[in-house]
Amino acid sequence: MIVSDVLGNCATDAKTRDNFITDGSFTVAYRELCALLDETAKALAGYGVEPGDCLAVECANSVAGALLLLTLMRDGYSFVLVPPAVNAEIKPTPLFCRFSIAVGAGVSPQPAAAFMSVTANPEWNRKSIPAAKLLLRTSGSMGTSKIVVHGHDKLMGNAANCVRKYGFRAESRCVIPVPIAHMYGFGAEFLPAIQAGASIDLQDKTNIIKYLDREKRFQPTIAFVTPAICEMLLKAYKSPRTNYEVIVTSGQRISEDVFAAFDERIGGRLINQYGSTEMGATSACDLGDSFDMRSQTIGKPMHDVQLRITDGDPGELNVLHPFGYDGYLDDAGEWIHIAEPNTWYRTGDLAKADAEGAIKVLGRAGTSVNRDGYLVLLEDIERIIEKLPDILQVVVTATPGLSGQGQRIAAFCVPKADAVLNAQHIRARCFDLLPRYALPDEVHVVETVPLLASGKVDRRTLAAELNHTQQ
Amino acid sequence: MIEDAIEQLRKLVAERLDVNRTLDEITSDAALLGGGLGLDSLALVELVSLTEECFGIEFGENELNMDSFASIRSLAAVVVEMRARDVQPIAV
Repeated sequence: MIVSDVLGNCATDAKTRDNFITDGSFTVAYRELCALLDETAKALAGYGVEPGDCLAVECANSVAGALLLLTLMRDGYSFVLVPPAVNAEIKPTPLFCRFSIAVGAGVSPQPAAAFMSVTANPEWNRKSIPAAKLLLRTSGSMGTSKIVVHGHDKLMGNAANCVRKYGFRAESRCVIPVPIAHMYGFGAEFLPAIQAGASIDLQDKTNIIKYLDREKRFQPTIAFVTPAICEMLLKAYKSPRTNYEVIVTSGQRISEDVFAAFDERIGGRLINQYGSTEMGATSACDLGDSFDMRSQTIGKPMHDVQLRITDGDPGELNVLHPFGYDGYLDDAGEWIHIAEPNTWYRTGDLAKADAEGAIKVLGRAGTSVNRDGYLVLLEDIERIIEKLPDILQVVVTATPGLSGQGQRIAAFCVPKADAVLNAQHIRARCFDLLPRYALPDEVHVVETVPLLASGKVDRRTLAAELNHTQQ
Repeated sequence: MIEDAIEQLRKLVAERLDVNRTLDEITSDAALLGGGLGLDSLALVELVSLTEECFGIEFGENELNMDSFASIRSLAAVVVEMRARDVQPIAV
């Protein structure tokens, strides 16, 4: 499926041509899209962007942002979707990107040259990157993590799977309150909605007030949310909603209470999707499935996708996906890993199959956690907090329970010799250093951290001690 | 009356919301959303819940709008109005 063909059909088909993309301030119809993308392409050329350049794109949920992404997809550019920079020490632009392009929220989609701010990357290393790829960091804006590479063609295949699973069609009205600069918002909702020629409401940094206001006007039938948004809407909805055909949430960390209460509010139409940055949308329940199945399992894999559990029960979930990633690049653009076609991908998630074969995902197998839809590597947080003065060592662990952002995390800080640390001050500084989803829920100052025989930090004991002192 | 509500709300934001601000940094006219205090989505839900708890009220969907939640002052006005409505004797 080719992006230009999809857009051409949407612009002419009587069922879709008057459908639109809006961000609350600006609205464009599908029939206008091709001309607007041409204008956007011209603006890129005007800034010196050439075919073959790889671009770092920081993009808000806005019509202008959508135009830029569709132009890059249509014209076969390779681009990295980067979250907004949190602080100067974390550089989201990989060295192989020639330009950084930022498109903010609430900017007019016309003229195209004015909605984007284009900056040449002073550290560009001239490394050539294959064309027509979408690149995503494995852990948000947290540093020098691996960069996941997807072919545009496979992304479109992944999106087609979502169209089939969730029933996107021309009449659908799709609200996107999650970032479109993220695999979930872009690959599982935005592109499927475009393929179906459905109307789209892009909400930038949603909140309870904004969502209610926009929902009243847009009357969405499809929404992709996070567990935090489910909780928010549960607070907001004083009366049940009947406009939704399906609301998709993602990440295994939605509490059973919230799932049940929110599902009831929207007439039993909540679906939990399982996916990852590497594989995209992988598995989800169907609307006809029982409440127990929908609330506890990841349902059936997407079309042509296979799942299996290896290394025990519970064991590690493996995925065989026709539209998975090409591999990982490092920040310099060198391949770290190339994913061979038809090989199983190890997700790093612990899973268990019940008697009927339905799969439950229990959590992460390693030292990472899912926070507000982002996979957060605990070492990344440690590295950043360790830059604060007077700190010798930081250990971050997952701790029991959930916070608003997902799995709770705690930071244990060891002071340098003769230094005195204040846990509250450290946490206050973290607000400036870390994205909100990576902010530890609690900070503790400790004299030493327990070690395993191997010399590695014994995170389990540390987390258990914390649990013990709280009881 | 409204000044009391403003003070209570300022304290509530400073002491109970996870926003890393001191009482002095929270003015009654600072925008709650966007710039100003820039409450994120989670903090805003928390503010709704804490305000309800603190003043013994429950917001309806109509009160959860941009105008009510523009600033601490506008929120205080809504709270005062809701409480006045609640204690009004029912006409017979």
